[in-house]
Amino acid sequence: MAIARPSLPRISAQTIAGMALAAIVGVLVLYPIFFLLQAALDVGDPDVRPPTAYGLGNFVAMGHYAGILGNTVAVSLAATVMAIVFGFVTAWILSRTDVPFRRTLEQLMAVPYYVTPLLGAFAWSMLGAPESGFINQVWRAMGGHGALIDMVTPFGIAWVMALFEGSVAFFMIGAVMKSMDPSLEEASQVIGASRLRTMLRVTLPLVAPGVLGATIYVFAEMLGSFTAALVLGLPNRFYVVTTAIYQLVSQYPPRLPLAAAMGVSLFAIMFVMMFFYRRLVTSRSFVTVTGKAFRPRRMDMGGWRWVLFGICAFYVLLSVVLPLVTLVYASLQQIAVAFPTAANWTLANYRGALTMNAVRSALTNSLLLGIATATIGTALMGMLCWIVYRSRLPGRGIIEYVAMFPQAVPRLVFAFGMMWAWLVIPLPIYGTIWILLIAYLTVFLPLGMRTVSGVMLQLDKTLEESAQMCGASWIYRLRTVTMPLLRPGLVACWLLLFIASVRELGASILLMGPHSKVITPAIVESWFATSSELTAAMALIQTVVVAAAMAIFVMLTRQAAGPGGD
Amino acid sequence: MDSQPTTSPLTLKAEPIEVEDLRIQYGPVIAVRDVSFAVRPGEQLTLLGPSGCGKTTTLRALAGLERPSSGTIRVGGHVVYSSAQRIDIPAEKRGLSMVFQSYAIWPHMTVFDNVAYGLRVRKRPRAEIETRVQEALDLVQMGAYAARRASQLSGGQQQRVALARACAFSPQVLLFDEPLSNLDAKLRADMRIELRELQHRLGVTSVYVTHDLEEALAMSDRIVVMRDGVVEQAGTPTEIYARPRNAFVADFVGSSNLVQGRLRPDLARGGLIALETASGEIVLGDPCGRTPGATPTFSIRTVHLQFSAQRPAGEVNVWPVRVHRCVFQGDFTQIHVAWGDRDLVIRSAALEPIAEGQAAWISADPARCVLLEGE
Repeated sequence: MAIARPSLPRISAQTIAGMALAAIVGVLVLYPIFFLLQAALDVGDPDVRPPTAYGLGNFVAMGHYAGILGNTVAVSLAATVMAIVFGFVTAWILSRTDVPFRRTLEQLMAVPYYVTPLLGAFAWSMLGAPESGFINQVWRAMGGHGALIDMVTPFGIAWVMALFEGSVAFFMIGAVMKSMDPSLEEASQVIGASRLRTMLRVTLPLVAPGVLGATIYVFAEMLGSFTAALVLGLPNRFYVVTTAIYQLVSQYPPRLPLAAAMGVSLFAIMFVMMFFYRRLVTSRSFVTVTGKAFRPRRMDMGGWRWVLFGICAFYVLLSVVLPLVTLVYASLQQIAVAFPTAANWTLANYRGALTMNAVRSALTNSLLLGIATATIGTALMGMLCWIVYRSRLPGRGIIEYVAMFPQAVPRLVFAFGMMWAWLVIPLPIYGTIWILLIAYLTVFLPLGMRTVSGVMLQLDKTLEESAQMCGASWIYRLRTVTMPLLRPGLVACWLLLFIASVRELGASILLMGPHSKVITPAIVESWFATSSELTAAMALIQTVVVAAAMAIFVMLTRQAAGPGGD
Repeated sequence: MDSQPTTSPLTLKAEPIEVEDLRIQYGPVIAVRDVSFAVRPGEQLTLLGPSGCGKTTTLRALAGLERPSSGTIRVGGHVVYSSAQRIDIPAEKRGLSMVFQSYAIWPHMTVFDNVAYGLRVRKRPRAEIETRVQEALDLVQMGAYAARRASQLSGGQQQRVALARACAFSPQVLLFDEPLSNLDAKLRADMRIELRELQHRLGVTSVYVTHDLEEALAMSDRIVVMRDGVVEQAGTPTEIYARPRNAFVADFVGSSNLVQGRLRPDLARGGLIALETASGEIVLGDPCGRTPGATPTFSIRTVHLQFSAQRPAGEVNVWPVRVHRCVFQGDFTQIHVAWGDRDLVIRSAALEPIAEGQAAWISADPARCVLLEGE
């Protein structure tokens, strides 16, 4: 028994940790945003820092680039519509019908997300370039004229992004469909409504909030997307906002204030959309969709079930199989063509990629960064989650808000703010891999927090409280109860952070220095500077590394779920 | 009090608890409104009430898991929370122990590790930990399960382990948050008796939270009935049952007929008072030392009304009725009778079937007709 004597409230370990984390998150997130805003409002002498004059001139100057804004909206809209159609149709088939091989298909639906827009853009460029594209070569060999398809176009950008985001839409819409009480549909059929009528009048309105939420989320992601637009747009000088910002920053002389103004505008639009998305998710969808898990009733589709299977399989074919096969096919040729001669086959691209010093150092840097980001990030984000979702510290809501902030900021734009922010600090980290580490830790805060909090919120609070009632201090509880029980979540967080870091492009391309190259920007450089065959080999090597990490992830989580998961 | 625990050396470490003017507020919502009660050393006190009455919140504040807005909590004479003195001892330093509704057994540990946790926190020597864990497990008849993984146990077994874990480090006070509500009815009845015996054997002070009346009556030395964050009545189980203070307690603690009427001082006799209902029935009852309010009301338990086919002997509280509805419920039969302009409900272990519409008699011992406190 502690002897109670009147004393000032002691500062506990928890309070100290909470304040330290709040400070770290504040510096990581708000400090670069401050510099971004400052740069956007800087209308003074471009060579003098800090700014000599402030004004809205940069935003006015954006008027000259209205075409780029139009491009962005057009591409994002087209991609969103396609992604939502892909996601909705596959989600409905897999959660509402008796389609064969449902479980396998469901697992396959996650794969497009791991086949990044980068691989997708490379592959679809090789498949659908007007002259050299494999599909067009086949078309001409069959007697066709000109090009059947052209993917190095705005449509190509939207197509690649839609295939990628379709997987995201599938999981968001699928979650809503699965958690819908099937008795609502049964009630409609019992009173004599036809299957189609039930679908239109009951199912659709019920999932509408979820679909709308997914639409807003995907659209916001599209606005901030960078990779596909870079690979498929740059050759024809077709720009969207993100690639325009990149161009303005990397050209000579750079037009930084204008780029900052564009970044701030994009950020503002995405922020508003994310705000509506959150409002939608937290308000309406909970009315129709309770937290209860239902076993959804699956419609008997008769012979149509094979057609539905075909639709899902076709999506996986377009988004996963075709791109990967294309890349492998191209990477094994000296000059990639649809109908190679025997002499054309070679392993030289892999040999080249693995022996080039630039590639090796970039890959080493990326792996080191991945491990560092994942390790530091998991510790940081795990503690953050505890403070935000478990402690009673005042201000934890604000910490959560700030930590989730980077979700609304395209990584390229964030990196731009960070570039400024860390240039003025007299620490020699600009141009080193340290600034990349800081950047990754910042831009992946929402990813890590979401992963850990998902597991943490499922963890019964009384498991920790009973340790507390046994007399265990906060640190002791964390070590003996919270961390072991959170292990699956922490493992998942580590691997997701690792994978995301190794594949990062938007922030890395702006922040990496000549002596701190990382792999994804190096691959993009290779695409524009050297051959597509070599690039394909490099991209596949990176994919294999990531896949190996994924395999470890699956193995570890299976193990963790074994004995402990009751 | 007729059920004081037998004195054993162990009772010496039992500590009193005092809660004064406890208020717990979440934004505009007041969950607990100036609640005060005291628990004597070695006593088992139960907080009883419907869900949302603030009983669990009160218990969690006592434990230190919830931060009150104001008030004072003392355990063993030491202040563990005081808004005035700005004292808030963290839960882990209050020396209390708690059994949770969800058991909160750690699935990644063995039964032994679960029970040893509190001792390891206190850095006890290895040998002592082993003997005390074994003792605690034997106490709940789980001695043979020490090496099992906690996730392999049934609900009842998990609850026993939770109990052993809560006792193993010899806490001064045991807190129970609806520990039996997740068990099935039969197991619950067994565990109720076991818990009661265990509590007597340990002689430890305990506070028990439940919404189950039988549990409260069977296990407690004293009961505090709560509603909407306020204490409605505090007393021994017999007091609460026999002399409910108001309509809520009368109704929540077993079913009751509430009979309102006009005071008839002219008919009062022998310490009893008389009420005349709107339809003219005269009811004599025990004022229990209370003064009748504007609408004097008697509470008559459904089991305290006698039902008979013939007119029973006696002058007072005997009324002719007509059977309205009769529901057979196994251990008892619930009879609804038309009495004046209203229905009364009677529960009796009826021997033979009663026809609906049949004329009959009911009677009530005036001592069982209890006057409720005026508003």
